[in-house]
Amino acid sequence: MKKSYIYIMTLMLAFTACEDRLNVDPTLSISEDAATSSQENIQKLLLGAYETLGNRDSHGGYLQIFSELLGMDDQVSWNGTFPEPREALTKTMYANNFLIGEMWNNAFKVVSQSNLILDNIDKVKDGALKSTIEGEARFLRALCHFEMVRLYGGESKGIPLRLTSISSYGDDLTIKRSSTAEVYVSILDDLSKAIEALPTENGEFANKYAALGLQARVNLYLGKYKEALDAANTVLTESGKSLSASYADAYNHDVDNEEDIFMMQVTSQSGENQLISMYASEDNGGRGGDISLNQSFFDLFDGLEDERSTFYYENEREDKLTNKYTNQYGNVPVIRLPEMLLIRAECNARLNSNVGASPLEDVNAIRTRSNAKEMSSVTVADILKERQRELAFEGFAIYDIIRTKSSIAGLPYNDPKLVMPIPQAEMDSNKLMEQNDGY
Amino acid sequence: MKHILLYLFLLMGVSIMAQRTITGKITDKNGSPLIGASVIEKENTLNGTLTDTDGNFTLKVSDKSKALVLSYLGFDNKEIALSGGNQVVDVTLDAADELLNEVIIIGYGNSSKKNLTDNVSKLTTKDISNIAVSNFQSTMSGKAAGVRINQTNGKVDGGINIRIRGNSSISAGSEPLYVLDGMPLINVNESTNGARMNPLLSLSPSEIESIDILKDASSAAIYGARGANGVVLITTKKGKSGKANISLNISSGVSSPTHLLQFLNAAEYKELFTEAAINSLGEEDGKNEVNSTFEYFANGKTGVDTDWNKLAFRDGSQSDIDLGISGGDSKTQYFFGGALNKTKGILLGNDLQKMSARINLKHALSSKFTAGINLGVSKTIVERIDNDNSFTTPLQAIAQSPLSPAFNDDGTPNSNTLYANFLLEDRYASYTTNVRRVTGKVFMEYNFIKNLKFNSDLGYDLSDQTENNYRGLNTPFMSTNGYGYNSNAKSENYIWSNYFTFTKDINDKTDLNVVVGQEFNNSDRLFNSVTGIQFPSDNFTSISSAAEITAGKGENERYNFLSYFGRATLNLEGKYLLKASIRRDGSSRFGANNRYGIFPAVSAGWIVSQESFLASNPTLTFLKVRGSYGQLGNSEIGNFASRTLYNGVSYNKISGIKLDQPGNNDLTWEKSNQLDLGVEFGLWNDRISGEIDIYSKKTDGLLFRVPLPGSSGQAELNKNIGSLEGKGIELVLNTKNIKEKDFQWNTSFNIANNKNKIISLPNNNADIIDVPNINRIGQPVLAFYLVEFAGADPTNGDALYYKDGKGSETTNDYSEANRVIAGNPQPTWIGGLTNEVSMKGISLAFTFVGEWGASIFNGGGVYQSSSADYFDNQTRDQLDRWQKAGDVTMVPQARLYGQNGTAASTRYLQKADFIRLRNIMLSYDIPSSLTKKAGIKSARLFLAGVNLLTFTDYTGYDPESRNDSSSTGFASGSNFYSAPQAKTMSVGVNVNF
Repeated sequence: MKKSYIYIMTLMLAFTACEDRLNVDPTLSISEDAATSSQENIQKLLLGAYETLGNRDSHGGYLQIFSELLGMDDQVSWNGTFPEPREALTKTMYANNFLIGEMWNNAFKVVSQSNLILDNIDKVKDGALKSTIEGEARFLRALCHFEMVRLYGGESKGIPLRLTSISSYGDDLTIKRSSTAEVYVSILDDLSKAIEALPTENGEFANKYAALGLQARVNLYLGKYKEALDAANTVLTESGKSLSASYADAYNHDVDNEEDIFMMQVTSQSGENQLISMYASEDNGGRGGDISLNQSFFDLFDGLEDERSTFYYENEREDKLTNKYTNQYGNVPVIRLPEMLLIRAECNARLNSNVGASPLEDVNAIRTRSNAKEMSSVTVADILKERQRELAFEGFAIYDIIRTKSSIAGLPYNDPKLVMPIPQAEMDSNKLMEQNDGY
Repeated sequence: MKHILLYLFLLMGVSIMAQRTITGKITDKNGSPLIGASVIEKENTLNGTLTDTDGNFTLKVSDKSKALVLSYLGFDNKEIALSGGNQVVDVTLDAADELLNEVIIIGYGNSSKKNLTDNVSKLTTKDISNIAVSNFQSTMSGKAAGVRINQTNGKVDGGINIRIRGNSSISAGSEPLYVLDGMPLINVNESTNGARMNPLLSLSPSEIESIDILKDASSAAIYGARGANGVVLITTKKGKSGKANISLNISSGVSSPTHLLQFLNAAEYKELFTEAAINSLGEEDGKNEVNSTFEYFANGKTGVDTDWNKLAFRDGSQSDIDLGISGGDSKTQYFFGGALNKTKGILLGNDLQKMSARINLKHALSSKFTAGINLGVSKTIVERIDNDNSFTTPLQAIAQSPLSPAFNDDGTPNSNTLYANFLLEDRYASYTTNVRRVTGKVFMEYNFIKNLKFNSDLGYDLSDQTENNYRGLNTPFMSTNGYGYNSNAKSENYIWSNYFTFTKDINDKTDLNVVVGQEFNNSDRLFNSVTGIQFPSDNFTSISSAAEITAGKGENERYNFLSYFGRATLNLEGKYLLKASIRRDGSSRFGANNRYGIFPAVSAGWIVSQESFLASNPTLTFLKVRGSYGQLGNSEIGNFASRTLYNGVSYNKISGIKLDQPGNNDLTWEKSNQLDLGVEFGLWNDRISGEIDIYSKKTDGLLFRVPLPGSSGQAELNKNIGSLEGKGIELVLNTKNIKEKDFQWNTSFNIANNKNKIISLPNNNADIIDVPNINRIGQPVLAFYLVEFAGADPTNGDALYYKDGKGSETTNDYSEANRVIAGNPQPTWIGGLTNEVSMKGISLAFTFVGEWGASIFNGGGVYQSSSADYFDNQTRDQLDRWQKAGDVTMVPQARLYGQNGTAASTRYLQKADFIRLRNIMLSYDIPSSLTKKAGIKSARLFLAGVNLLTFTDYTGYDPESRNDSSSTGFASGSNFYSAPQAKTMSVGVNVNF
């Protein structure tokens, strides 16, 4: 009997020796040390930043949708159930609008991913690769900072500016808003470094011309027309991009085409296209047409021969939906060549110059592609109207109103209602944060 | 060697020994024979027999035998001393004091109610059987003090929420640990359609003998790091020595929703929306706007008035059949059981079918060695519907306009509706979930010497859940020629427990019981899924027919626990009770810096009624005071919550890495310290008996997903920060109102108050706000934090809000109004009242449950009751809108697209107090004189009901329904198109052969 005793006791003791069984590592994830350990992983982190940027809360759609709804009045209707986008259209946004919160969070996630890459950039040993990765990270950071500062920032109050990665999320993470001017200094610094660092060819990822295109856009917004003109002209003359044959060809493609400068990549397996969700019919993968086009949008056009004036289809409710977003898995436009032509035209018109081409040539290049009547002369006002016709629903509306100091829905460009509230969650967790006026 | 010889000797039995014969008769005190009573030789427990139909027995015993042990269920055991030679003994057994001698399962052993120093609620077969619900948890509702049982909503597969003594946690798991026959059960929601499902759905109430709910620290501490939310110990049915008993139950019932919220009919809808449009857009534009919309809704028809509410529901039904066979002899006992359940849910397209079988077998190989196996297998098939936050879930149909026809003339569902028509999903899509479950245990017990035994149990639990979803060409939002999704979640849990139990009867009334053991628990989970699009036609619904595979998942994860435990119980003089326990748990779930924890508990009791000064008191026949203090842990923090996790992602078919979770190496379990003081009493021999407990529990190191400023790039960080206090009082009162031979009436009442409040929070007690809830110190968990709504401005119909809570100045500018604490998502009082009346074979039993103090925020209110903000059909109360200056109403002026009062406010918050007739059963026992002729031992016919009556001021669908589309729907007290509970009436029969 004693023997069985000993046997069982031994068995139990054998079992106790297995405390190392408590070391169970996840099989799906790796640690930060591992993630930043090698050149390959830094490269993969960059892919992660693109993936985040393509999330619906950023350039996967909501950024474009909110900027468009905020800058429109009766040109479109909001038919969807979500009250959040409607708040943008009716200019009655609340700080607890969860989409406004998600857009904020996601853009700053891209910023933090970029920061982590830049802080570990020395682990990339291949010189050319290092330069490209750095350029891309700076481009992504500048892009997100730019979107954030113009959506959530006012004339003086900017956004929090954090340019290094966070070593421990347990630390105090409160941060105050930098001034709008400080934010733009950082954006332009990132962009000039990115232009320097990026190659001219980089597949579907940001290359030198994407950074230049963004630089042109930022400078245009800041009223620095000379700088905007130079950047846009460089893209137009050096990138080798050209307008696609027809207006319809410019949209809904699975692979970037000849006029695309920077696009968010969507496939049936990855990427998000919220523009489809909200602009498209159910048959095209959307929610049925949350955003439909009204007569006052069509009134922008001067003739039905202009293909852009008939670039729509009707859903079951006979609402008019834009044809720009009909391919569920099509790439989402961020920077395209027509914008560059329009920036060059506007800057040349404002500066009375003809750098690269005359404003009239640039505008007519765009118009003839869509079979619109050629113009005989153009003013800045004509060019701004051409922007509305050409770039509608691509996320430019509110920015053109603000930068040209015009008004929308009876509100002047500097009305606090046209600036998004700082999300309530940020206000609640960051004591140094200051809310925008009117919220 | 000598021992082994003796052992062999025993095995060969008594035949080689000198023998004598004992005969006798066993009766109760009325002289009625006890049939099947067990008679065992004390010195050789393998030698025994059962009494026959006249109560007679004959047993041959060895010469050396000194006593017989007589036992019979419901009676006190009796020992009969034997003198030499053949003997005739006639014995009367005394009926046991059922309440006090009831066996209480306490984990790694058991105790009696009388000697217990813990707070444990016990439910037995009679409490949980024949209740027409599809899960065993709901049967416990209202029967255990301080235990709140809630089914998320009226879906047959709906998730179950149990809170024992309120919340002990804010963000970690709050559900109790379920232990089936000693094995912790897998209780992970594996639903992939967004709606929480009940993982224990497959367990049939018919295989359960008892449920013991460990509520205080002293009882649950033996489960250490997993005990903080309480422990539910489930014991399955076992065979008993004696002739086979065959029990058959058949029942069948019909069900309907408890209550429907009322919506506008076509005429009212037209009226309200025309008015709303004119208010917003002016006479002409307004009319144009609504008329074109109404025309679209009508879809070419006239005079349509669709009641979408009705379309979402249907008459449900439920049928149950179960069969149990049990029996055995003194060496082997067996239970075989099988059960079938078929439930047709009250929501269109929601069905459940389950079958389960169980075999529990135990065999004594010798007087020292017992071994056995418990094995349960089950299969559950659920036809599921979408989660509450989905356009295609039936109840979202109430958002549709009554002007829209539901069907086209050809009978197909109308696709030209305001929102996706759920009928299309119902007809052209399917979502089938299969859950296969195996719960098994092999166990052995070895008695080394009389006082020392060793138990080794190896338990295994497998939960295998597959989900098959196919969405056909005609379903809403279909742009990919069909969509298919298959998933398989497989969780396996094995646990090996080894423990020694030492018992010592120091003297007649003093005994000591010591348990020491060790346990290893391993849990693995595998998850795979695949998604495909582009199907040839709706005839092909399996993923293999998909032309394009768009997503796939393959995941595995694991956690381990290694634990040591010990417990000593001392019963001194039958009066003074002492208990101490300790458990050391180590878990892979905890951060590297904090892997092991020690969880001690002590308790003491004093049976005052055993003292001489009370012993002969005829009024106060039982009195016990007890107290306990202990520490528990809550390890439900996720498997890798402490780690920094970088996950793989994909962008344009290229892989990337992304930070998914920032880490914290100090992360560990939540620690909960609990103090419980209780008094148990019995008056007039338990004609009135009861228990009063007060408790205080404080949880420290609360796990928080501390919200980080979004500007940091991460939204949350897991931390052990903050503490939470729960204080409460529980009262249980059992009375035997009438105790005649032909007429009995018993009442059991329980009520519990629980107040929890947050003591400290992360970031220097900063509020954690998750609209519409807040965690704030001094307030209950997830209190409602909302602007107080003040109704319509009588002058212009604007929505008004109080600037600083009720009674303060009002404003029509929402941003000027400050949020205030506006309610509690959890009730502060819960109670149950059960009555059992029986008279000459007719019995009536019913249980009322009640909850007071909770509020529900209707997340759908902004669409349903929005002063006609958008074309969603409105609740009828919106007809009471402001129309002209001077109108005083809580409904602001109807304004299409006007957002008049749609911001989050108390407009959508309501008190959810209720009393509900949870179950009722009227039964009739067919006289045995009749049944005997048919060879039937007993037969009972019954009529039963669940949720038949509800008393509440809550005007929503159901005060017990919550949003199932978010993991916090229950905790945060929100409701979002959440279906009401089912109200069921059934008839049935129980037969015993």
